[in-house]
Amino acid sequence: MRKILIAASIVIIAVVSSIAVTLGGALGPLFGGVRSLAEFYLLNVFNARNETLTAMSPEAVTSIVWDYRGLDTLFETVVFYMAIIGCVALHRGIELIRKGAEIGLSRIVKTVTKILIPLNIVIAASIALHGHLTPGGGFQAGAAMAVAPIIVIVVFSRFFLIRKGITKEVALSLRSMGLLGIALVALIPLIAWAATGSTAYVMQNQMKAGSSFSFPAYVGDSLVSGSLIWYYIFEFLAVTFGFAIVFLLLSVDEKTVKKVLEGEKHGY
Amino acid sequence: MVLLAVFAGIALFFAYLAISERNLVRALIYSAVQSSAFAFIFYLLRAPDIVLVYVPISVGIYPAAILFLIRKTKEVEEP
Repeated sequence: MRKILIAASIVIIAVVSSIAVTLGGALGPLFGGVRSLAEFYLLNVFNARNETLTAMSPEAVTSIVWDYRGLDTLFETVVFYMAIIGCVALHRGIELIRKGAEIGLSRIVKTVTKILIPLNIVIAASIALHGHLTPGGGFQAGAAMAVAPIIVIVVFSRFFLIRKGITKEVALSLRSMGLLGIALVALIPLIAWAATGSTAYVMQNQMKAGSSFSFPAYVGDSLVSGSLIWYYIFEFLAVTFGFAIVFLLLSVDEKTVKKVLEGEKHGY
Repeated sequence: MVLLAVFAGIALFFAYLAISERNLVRALIYSAVQSSAFAFIFYLLRAPDIVLVYVPISVGIYPAAILFLIRKTKEVEEP
């Protein structure tokens, strides 16, 4: 009975939502070509002639995420920050000890992991550093990179990671550095305004109407798209070490966690 | 379009398995397979940015996080 109910509800939701999207037109007309809003962005994201509207990045998604709609992404980053602060606050008082039995998995698994971890780091770094040129970006790279500490914790053990220097404190400070970097890049136009007195806006990337401030779009011959590459580098740091903290704390066994939580005088 | 329908069907089937399974570890694996099907759907819909974030999340971080949490509770859901 229970299984029939589950199957029926899944089928009903799938059928109703697909009818709404295709025949009902809940998302607007499908396959109708490029809409005017998309046309605007496609025309302007990498258009050096239109100096006041361009983001100087050939990647439309990146330009929208950190330039045209930059504040939305800033608040998203803050949500992620708060979630990890919550996790750290829940696990307060738990000491991540350095020594413990490093059993881990078999030698075969460990060797394969040793080969794969550098590859993982290289791929993540390339996703982050090419985020303004090709699909990818800070959060994507951070998520790819966060897989490395998880694998190390599972294959080698938590103590191995801590002994290698990725302690909770180090991860917390690196993550805070990433967030401070994002804030700094957003506020650099204000600093320029204070220094030179010319108009500048918070989170400004390229020059806007009435403001001549702009981040350098090229360094030497390579395109860095102004502030976009900096946002991505700092977001990469913040996301990677945010996930690392969560998994370091989650890998502590339940007995230790409960002992600390119950040890407090005034309830949990 | 046909591939899209196939992956959507796989995702639906594994969603059903994940909901009806009482063993949490197995349900988690079904759910991860469903997420992987979603990643393929995003790829077919030409959203490579989402694919890049969805693959590590659906295959790595999400199952790992839930596995750590299952270890802190019981493996089998009580009726």
